[in-house]
Amino acid sequence: MLHRRIYQFFIIYFLGIATLFIIKYGLNLSDYVIPGPSEIWQTGQDVFTRYFFNVVDTLSVAILGHLLSICLATLVGIVGRLTLWIGSFIRVAAYNIQAYPIVAVAPIIFILLGDGLSSRLLITAMICYFPLLLSFIGILSEPVTEIEHFYESTMRMNWRLQVKIRAFENINKIVTVIVGSGTLAMVGTIVSEFIAANAGIGHSIRMALYQSDLAKILVALFLIGICTSLYLVSLEGLGQVVQKRLQGNTSS
Amino acid sequence: MLLEFNDISYKYPGSIKAVFKNLTCRISTPGFHALFGPSGVGKTTLAKIMIGGVQGFSGEIATTGIHHILYTYNLERLPGWSSAREHLQTTTPDSGKGKIDQLVAAFGLEPCMNSRFAQLSLGQQNRTNLARYLLQDFDLLIMDESLANVDEVTKEKIILTMKTIFPNRCFLYISHSIVEVAKFCRQILVLRGQHKSPQTVTLRGQDYMDGKALVKKDLEQTMLEIVNAA
Repeated sequence: MLHRRIYQFFIIYFLGIATLFIIKYGLNLSDYVIPGPSEIWQTGQDVFTRYFFNVVDTLSVAILGHLLSICLATLVGIVGRLTLWIGSFIRVAAYNIQAYPIVAVAPIIFILLGDGLSSRLLITAMICYFPLLLSFIGILSEPVTEIEHFYESTMRMNWRLQVKIRAFENINKIVTVIVGSGTLAMVGTIVSEFIAANAGIGHSIRMALYQSDLAKILVALFLIGICTSLYLVSLEGLGQVVQKRLQGNTSS
Repeated sequence: MLLEFNDISYKYPGSIKAVFKNLTCRISTPGFHALFGPSGVGKTTLAKIMIGGVQGFSGEIATTGIHHILYTYNLERLPGWSSAREHLQTTTPDSGKGKIDQLVAAFGLEPCMNSRFAQLSLGQQNRTNLARYLLQDFDLLIMDESLANVDEVTKEKIILTMKTIFPNRCFLYISHSIVEVAKFCRQILVLRGQHKSPQTVTLRGQDYMDGKALVKKDLEQTMLEIVNAA
């Protein structure tokens, strides 16, 4: 799984680099616009360590933000599944708010909270929160009649059991959505860092952009791709372990 | 114990055609009874009306001595996070705990008690599902095709065990098998199409049970009556 994802990333990354070189040599562009292979290599050697730790910093914020959004989506999803007005209100609100671009709200967050960790974390959580929430609300609102009927008939049904049944029956979907939103968490963190933060790889990309240094940006993209792939593979592995544990092939 | 339907009329939402029109019938004794009829005639709908799962009907359902009605159907599943044994132990009220082993043995479920529901065959799944309902407190249990995919020998053993263990409870068995309902049921409510009047015909079944002889000629007669009534 890991090698396949890394392999796929390498193919895409080097296809992108190759396209840049085709444009560079095809249009006879200067090294200032698109640096040559040797300059990219040299820049890579110069900034690799610093960028690596920047990416690790970004990844740690992404993981925290992702966890935060999973917890929040679960909580709101549990309330949103209710047939009462509050459940209906939350469902409608979630659908409406998710249509609003978080990037447009991000400056307000930076103005209010500054450019520290809290702003990065909040924007990250917000960017990956809504896809999770919509899926969680959908999953937790959908009755599993064939299982729930017995508990309802025998007056045993309560909200915890209902959530347990629906989550268990849709564990594959939940894992897929969580893995999918992992990419969004990384994207969200980088976007927030790019807009205004004072740390992380997004911040480094912004600095490189101010210097018009495409080589640095390409090195940063390489490290982001590798680290995101590792994170997604870890999530997939964790998801498989959870699924195997819950659905167990042998008697318990 | 009495269950009586008086002038029940019902249309599905958005439909102009009534499923039931002035349907009237009654079950007056405990025991193993049947609701029989061709597919689509409204057996499951009538069962759901009984448990309050369908609203918007007219008429009256009178019950005497029946306080707790349960409805089970053959597509139900047990949650997959525990084995069949764990599930039965956690969902059986104290009053039914003593019957678990007896039912498990009679239903032929011993070999699959440590398996999870998804690992069971369709017949085993239906038997496990029925067993957990029988262990609950109920006055009337409606069994909608609950013994589908179960072989004839096991099916007979299960029904006879139910009659022995629960002689004072009421069962309403929904099935398409003429032989089964004719052989095992005491009262057979034959539900007919809306164009027929009356919409139900009540027949007397052979009510076969342990220690009672089954006269083949009488069984054939009952079967013939069911065919004619339907």
